[in-house]
Amino acid sequence: MINNSQAGPAIALAGVNLSLGHGAARVHILKDIDLHIGSGEAIGLVGPSGSGKSTLLMVMAGLERADTGTVTVAGENLNKLDEDTLARFRGRHVGIVFQSFHLIPTMNTLENVAVPLELAGVTDAHERACDELAAVGLSERLHHYPAELSGGEQQRVAVARALAPNPAIIVADEPTGNLDEDTGRQIIDLLFAGHAKRRTTLVLVTHDPALAARCARVVRLRSGRIDGASTP
Amino acid sequence: MTLAVTPSQGGRWLPLRFALREMRGGLRGFYVFIACIALGSMAIAGVGSLAASLADGLAREGRVILGGDLAFTLIQREATANERAFLDARGKISSAATLRAMARTPSGQATLVEMKAVDEAYPLFGQAVLDPQSPLADALALRDGVYGAVADPTLMARLELKPGARVNIGNANFEIRAALTNEPDKLAGGIGFGPRLLVSQDALRATGLLQPGSLVRWHYRLRLPNEGSEAATRAVAMQAGAQLPEAGWDIRSRSNASPQLERNVERFTQFLTIVGLTALLVGGVGVGNAVKSHLDRRYETIATMKALGASGRRVFSIYLMQVLMLAIIGAAIGGVLGAILPFLISWAFGTIIPLPLVPALHPGELLLALVYALLTALVFVLWPLGRAHDVPVAALFRDIVAPQPRYPRKRYIAFTVAAVIVLATLAVLLAYDRRVALIYVGIAAAVFVLLRGVAAVLMALARRVPRLRSTGLRMAVANIHRPGALTPTIVLSLGLGITLLVTVIEIDGNLRNQFANELPTRAPSFYFLDIPSDQAATFEAFVNAQAPAGKLAEVPMLRGRIISAGGTPVEKIKPKEEAAWVLQSDRGITYSNEIPTGSRLVEGKWWTSDYSGPPLVSFEQRIADGLGLKLGDPVVVNVLGRNVIATIANMRTVDWESLGINFVMVFSPNAFRGAPHTHLATLAYPGGSTPAEEATVLRAVAEKFPMVTTVRVKDALDAIGSLIANLVLAIRGASAITLIAAALVLGGALAAGHRHRVYDAVILKTLGATRLRLLSAYGVEYLLIGAATALFGMISGSLAAWLIVSQLMHLSFAWLPWPALAAALAAVSVTVGLGLAGTYMALGQKPSPILRNL
Repeated sequence: MINNSQAGPAIALAGVNLSLGHGAARVHILKDIDLHIGSGEAIGLVGPSGSGKSTLLMVMAGLERADTGTVTVAGENLNKLDEDTLARFRGRHVGIVFQSFHLIPTMNTLENVAVPLELAGVTDAHERACDELAAVGLSERLHHYPAELSGGEQQRVAVARALAPNPAIIVADEPTGNLDEDTGRQIIDLLFAGHAKRRTTLVLVTHDPALAARCARVVRLRSGRIDGASTP
Repeated sequence: MTLAVTPSQGGRWLPLRFALREMRGGLRGFYVFIACIALGSMAIAGVGSLAASLADGLAREGRVILGGDLAFTLIQREATANERAFLDARGKISSAATLRAMARTPSGQATLVEMKAVDEAYPLFGQAVLDPQSPLADALALRDGVYGAVADPTLMARLELKPGARVNIGNANFEIRAALTNEPDKLAGGIGFGPRLLVSQDALRATGLLQPGSLVRWHYRLRLPNEGSEAATRAVAMQAGAQLPEAGWDIRSRSNASPQLERNVERFTQFLTIVGLTALLVGGVGVGNAVKSHLDRRYETIATMKALGASGRRVFSIYLMQVLMLAIIGAAIGGVLGAILPFLISWAFGTIIPLPLVPALHPGELLLALVYALLTALVFVLWPLGRAHDVPVAALFRDIVAPQPRYPRKRYIAFTVAAVIVLATLAVLLAYDRRVALIYVGIAAAVFVLLRGVAAVLMALARRVPRLRSTGLRMAVANIHRPGALTPTIVLSLGLGITLLVTVIEIDGNLRNQFANELPTRAPSFYFLDIPSDQAATFEAFVNAQAPAGKLAEVPMLRGRIISAGGTPVEKIKPKEEAAWVLQSDRGITYSNEIPTGSRLVEGKWWTSDYSGPPLVSFEQRIADGLGLKLGDPVVVNVLGRNVIATIANMRTVDWESLGINFVMVFSPNAFRGAPHTHLATLAYPGGSTPAEEATVLRAVAEKFPMVTTVRVKDALDAIGSLIANLVLAIRGASAITLIAAALVLGGALAAGHRHRVYDAVILKTLGATRLRLLSAYGVEYLLIGAATALFGMISGSLAAWLIVSQLMHLSFAWLPWPALAAALAAVSVTVGLGLAGTYMALGQKPSPILRNL
């Protein structure tokens, strides 16, 4: 078991197994995963394609349910939550940044960032969304739709959206995968700045060793198993 | 190195090849497209084939329906010896007299019958079928001093008669010998108010009903020798007009055996074709939506093709080809179903419907349905296809791009406009009544434009709504105006559906009210026909004694046929639609010294009571306008074989809906001095009457005045009511096709939005939205759009119904709010239900697989 006990665990996975697909196409993706991530820690998940990094991230975010084992996030056992409770839990505790941004194309920048705040019942959702967008340098783009933004801008909106509800945990799935090097660096800077400033736990899936090196700990996956961990 | 390509290598058939290649994956995503086209073309092909089959039947059976190659009809008199000699010289003749009479049973029951007295030669064509079977002559013969009669089965059921039962008509006693299960020339007689009773002419004479002036029509059917050609038929008709101009008979040939029926068939065909076109137009919206969402899905493919060298025009051709192929598939399915319709109806209802249906394949009608289907498809797809021309290759380098409102190039706008013009022109040119077709095109265009407007206004309003406290409500309002919102498509498909539903319901309700529920309180309960002049006073006294609470009105009545008006022979007059009926048959006419009750003088002067100059006539103003007549014009009317020339002295307006005694023409009394005639009377109960009171009067009058025919207004209206019910049923049936199309389009529109909905829902769920919250937001969105559209649909549907009822049917219109509201609510419920059903399924999906595939 890989443990980090600098603080209480933000995420604790014990004996997690997960298979996807049906019949002959069913693949055992996560195998006996045990992992503790401390509160406020930044960890990088690395490994070859198909090793299960993104799936593991989804399990942590409550987007995928483990077949066996327990997944505890922010003190909550996710296995016991129904879908709606999980959704509410995510909205309050987990911020997600996708490789493909996944903004809602029919909402403008401000609305996209305000959505999780509105869903959480925050009264000044739009004002706070405005502040978050200012923090990522998009004050001038509040009323633009995703299609009117560059890839880098879209990802900055996604980062602002993930940070807006002040979640305890941010998970990011190859957030620079669709961006050029410079833009990617800016995004990572924003993520780490948010992590440092808000003491947010950050879980980062990446192929980029340099990027992983910025994390306090790196966990390697191979064929669905944790292959080791290192501290850069 | 560049690739050298000569133009021919590109190939003329390249778009077709590409289109076919694109369709290799099957028709998924096009089911709504195909169903919409199939429904519309099925309706048009079906209606066309059915009408053509009916026209064929009427043409083929013309002689049987008419009862001869030619039929000459006289009113209130038999043919003179001279006239009879003319007819006898031209072929074999069969005569028949028709009139209304009261049949009474020994137990005192009385009912109105449509009596027909035939000679031995009847029928010249076809066969009268009796149950139990026996020769007609035997069944009608005098046996033991009693004449025989055969009766329509409905009469036997109504009076509970069995073969052998006795009935009295006038002064004669009849034995019902059989049921008349097939009367070959029944259709030529038009709609009767009572069931048929067939007797011999000797029997008719024995009843004593043939009084001077009684309302009897004599029909002389002529069978030409050697299967008489069309030319021979025409020649005889012309000779009859030329040699016997004073006869005043109505001449019909086998090619127009039942002009009224043919007119009704044509009118109804046009109406149903319009309903079919509406189905196509509504379906067209679905076709447009399907193509739009298909192109949306193919966005990257199109961008890739363009990156690989396809021009915008080529992309347009490929997808146009694909759309046309799909439209042809849909039209073919609809065409096959439509072509089957006459066979199906003939097989299922052939023995019940009283029309000569000859089911056959009518390639012309099927081709027309195909043309309509392709044109409609073009009207709705050219615009979105034109937009595919300009898909940027840059789309490949971007993630999902939100749809932006954008006009296609001018060329494609021009194509769309041209397709609209061709479609509208075709609909108008092929219509039986072009005025109606033009009104229809106008209404359809207005509804489309207005619905676009409603969607735009709704989106603009939603954009301006101040920020709401409730997140769900705010999301719902925002969903209404966002780019790519479902608002325009839902408003269009739902709006068309509700407009049509409300129109049909309002027409339906108004027609029913007109003939059943809202009988004016001042309307009479009875009409009494054929009251002999010399018994008019006795009759009045008797009825007043029988019905002290009743109010009897009595006027003299004759029958007359307009021969010429304003100096123009009747066959050359081109009347307006609303006045044509006056020229189509003989009309009741009267004379009076005073302006009749229920009439108002609007032009000219009424004659004095001692007027003795040349005959004058008062004309109903709207009819006079329709015939192009003005004060001072001469009108020639044939009455009892004599042409009476009268000058129009004044114009009146008439309150027809009072159902009182109203006449188009009222003459100065000196016009008919000395002419034999009968009286017409009405009995009204100003304080209302009970069925028992009415039954007592009916029975007493039938007993005391066997020659007088009593028409109970309620029964007559019930007869019309059941006709209207059939009409309404047909309207409902045809409209159902359009409503199915509307529901399909709505379902298609919601399904097209489903992909975006799933995406939105998944992202929102990852951000913390619960299913209930998403569901209620979408529910409120559908409800808001649905309610606004329903309001518009109720208004536009009611307006359309008002236009049709008051302007085309010339009936009074009363708005029925509750049925319209119920229809609108039902439609909104269906929308919310359909929308939420799709959304619920989207919400049930786990986010991770979708996020992986996005």
